[in-house]
Amino acid sequence: MSQRDAVEERRVSWEQQLVQFEEEQHVPPLRRMLQRMRHNKLLLFGSATGILMLFAGVFGPIISGADYAAQSFQDIHLPPMSDGYLLGSDGLGRDLAIRTFVGIRVSLIVAAGVTSLALVAGVVLGMLAGYYHGWSDRLIGGVVDFVWGFPLILVAVLFAGGLGEGLFPVILAVGLVNTAAIARVVRGEVYTLSEREFIEAAHAGGYSHFRIMWRHILPNILAPAFVLASYYVAVAIIAEAALSFIGLGAQPPLPSLGQMVADGRNFLRQNHWESTIPGIAIVMLVLSVSLIGDGLRDVFDPRLRHEAKGVDEE
Amino acid sequence: MGQSWIKQEFGQEVAELADLYQAKEVSRRSFLKSLGILGIGATSAATILAACSPGDSTSTTGGGATATTGGSGGGSMEPVSGGTLREGYNRDISKHDPITTNWYDPAFFAIYEAIVSNDPSGATVPQFASDWSVSDDGLTYTFDVPSGKTSHSGGVIDAEAVAEFYRTIQAESFIAGLAAPVDTYEADGDTVVMKMKNAWIGALGPHKTGYWRIVNINTWQELGGTDVESTFGTESADGTGPFTHEEWVPGSHVLVNKWDDYPGSNTPFFENDGPAHLDSIRWTVITEAGQRATQIENGDIDTLIGPAPQDIARLESNSDLTVIRHPEWSGFHLSMNRDYDEFFGDVLTRQGLSHSLDRVGMVNAILAGNGAPTYGPFPTTDRNYDPDVQNFNQFDVDLANQKLDEAGWVAGDDGVRVRDGVRFEFDYLVEDESVQRAVAEAVAQQFSVVGVQANLNVVDRAVAFEQQSGAGRDAAPMSLFFWLWPIPIDVLTLFGGSQFIPVPNFSHAVEPRIDDAIASWQTAADEDQAQAAASEFQLAWAEQLPFLPIMNQNATFVHNNRVHGWQPFVWNLYPYYNDTWIEA
Repeated sequence: MSQRDAVEERRVSWEQQLVQFEEEQHVPPLRRMLQRMRHNKLLLFGSATGILMLFAGVFGPIISGADYAAQSFQDIHLPPMSDGYLLGSDGLGRDLAIRTFVGIRVSLIVAAGVTSLALVAGVVLGMLAGYYHGWSDRLIGGVVDFVWGFPLILVAVLFAGGLGEGLFPVILAVGLVNTAAIARVVRGEVYTLSEREFIEAAHAGGYSHFRIMWRHILPNILAPAFVLASYYVAVAIIAEAALSFIGLGAQPPLPSLGQMVADGRNFLRQNHWESTIPGIAIVMLVLSVSLIGDGLRDVFDPRLRHEAKGVDEE
Repeated sequence: MGQSWIKQEFGQEVAELADLYQAKEVSRRSFLKSLGILGIGATSAATILAACSPGDSTSTTGGGATATTGGSGGGSMEPVSGGTLREGYNRDISKHDPITTNWYDPAFFAIYEAIVSNDPSGATVPQFASDWSVSDDGLTYTFDVPSGKTSHSGGVIDAEAVAEFYRTIQAESFIAGLAAPVDTYEADGDTVVMKMKNAWIGALGPHKTGYWRIVNINTWQELGGTDVESTFGTESADGTGPFTHEEWVPGSHVLVNKWDDYPGSNTPFFENDGPAHLDSIRWTVITEAGQRATQIENGDIDTLIGPAPQDIARLESNSDLTVIRHPEWSGFHLSMNRDYDEFFGDVLTRQGLSHSLDRVGMVNAILAGNGAPTYGPFPTTDRNYDPDVQNFNQFDVDLANQKLDEAGWVAGDDGVRVRDGVRFEFDYLVEDESVQRAVAEAVAQQFSVVGVQANLNVVDRAVAFEQQSGAGRDAAPMSLFFWLWPIPIDVLTLFGGSQFIPVPNFSHAVEPRIDDAIASWQTAADEDQAQAAASEFQLAWAEQLPFLPIMNQNATFVHNNRVHGWQPFVWNLYPYYNDTWIEA
């Protein structure tokens, strides 16, 4: 064997080893993502809490089987663990457990509604502004800045004034403000992406604007948009609770957590549980959603991952 | 039991009977019947009843009030001049204009004077007038007006000025119908002569209220009169009371200052016959029920009107505070707009709804027992109260269902009743205030038990009034409202009278029997006629139900024991401040 052949054989052998090594090291993206999630303890805690709250909101009222509006004037202001009242009762003798479960459900519905609205509208508006630049950017950016400049409560009061109190105006008001927030971020991402080579190549290939946005830009902004949306789920829950606290959210007898806190504050000296139980539910909901959001950001954002790794290595 | 005045006034038998009633050993009905057998008239019986609220072990201070004091009495101390009384108030404030306001607040008792007023026993006594008399035929009332009286601005308030003010009330005030039997007001020398269309025993009643408190009519006209842009009652006011209007900030506070030139009152039960002891009074609006008790406990305020019911027991146990409780001439009523004929047009349906309401349960749960259920229009402690109304509107779900069945309502697939293709579901308006919202929620749930769907619409006070007071079907199908008035029958004639549709007859109810009773009341020349008219009014109301009566609450006042001479009593809505002073 000549020296050249020996070198070639060694090269082939190295390549085979490298391929074998890469094959051994290769982990499918989904599996890799799950591995990262499994090692993120805050994400796990947030997810567990979130699942618990989701279960309480979805199945709690069904399992208990009772009417959240049913009242018993003989059983008012009972503390938790009273006979027949797991979490006690309120001033009209209504079961706080059932009302808290339904309140969680209301919060989740509002959060889902708000986030869906904000995500869809925010992504569309942000893409249009960031992709087309020019007058559409100025117009959409102006509207977004205008909305962003209004306090959420003021927007909600305006909507409630026009549409009446209830969940629908709350979803619209919070959704509008959150839309502006998401649109601002998406616009920035799209602005950067639209100047990248693969987008220029797509233009050169004669693809339509719609196809470029749909097939090439959207997939690249979905991950950050979802991470951002998860943060705004928490914002939506807090906003709904705040608006219900001041009487602009769910209308009685439908319970909402903010409204329950407000109703219970007049009885803090007699039975503080009427406020603290829905208050704790709000904290758990927001905490779980925030932790999930933070965890997802850690998992999906490579820059953060590398930063975290660097810190670990130091 | 602390009812020695009953023994002195009415004898040993009545006092013993009162003790039995207070110990809950006889029912209210038996108690009243027994009083009748003992020859006690309706007015006196109501007063005794008011003083004997069962279960109270606190001392009686007169006029049915009970006061629980934890500390210093200070009764023999000399008044101290100066200081600001800080008073908490449970409602937002109204415009300080008796002629155009739709509610009157405690400041009206500081800024203005009425021509006559009630004393703690319920008797009529002079206030702005030095004396008054009524002719034998009951057709002429004469009020003596002292010479030299002025208003805060220095304007002369003589007999002609008072007469002109009353004529303005007749012409401009939306509530003038309360004194419909009054024909004319004329000045005659130093007297104001009130001529009646007919003799009426209730003629003085409206004149004691906030709406008839004397205003310098010249100032009122200069500042805008009835014009919505008028600044009278907001930026300034001009009365004859011991305090002058200084600041008026809705949602926040009212400030009045001592009027140094106040010549003193003609009211005999005031001990102070000169200018007020206090330098000023500041009312703070505390609409958050739970905050009221906390603020007086913390010393942020000196006196308080209307603590939350659930806090009263705690306040009573505080040795630094005195709690005064007495019956209140008020009520929670539900309107049922008759222009929604498909729902409320027939009496069987209204009766069915009424029988579904557990009034006793609501009093205990929402008012913490600090009130009483009402089965007719009047509070049970009113001097004209007829206990026969308790034959109506008792809580009975089976009877409620039976009445609704008889009315033709049948249960739909989802449990909500249907009649002639119309589902028994309607909007139910309520003001966004904690007690009213609780009452509304409780009522709606009880309706749902008998297959009636009332969808709550919670709005703020101004919107609630606007939506209640529309014409025809523009007004809410059903609304909960709270009324407060020192003589219930007077204001309830406005709510029930067909000539007051749409405001304040929010139900748009035309009930000939009630109209006849109102006419009888406003022509009642003596107590027997008045009682007969009042009874007929109550029974017609309880049976025909132009509105659904629910309950009334007790009036509760609290003061720090450093405050003296602040004496709310049952016959007036608010205390006077002429005698009030604060320990240094």
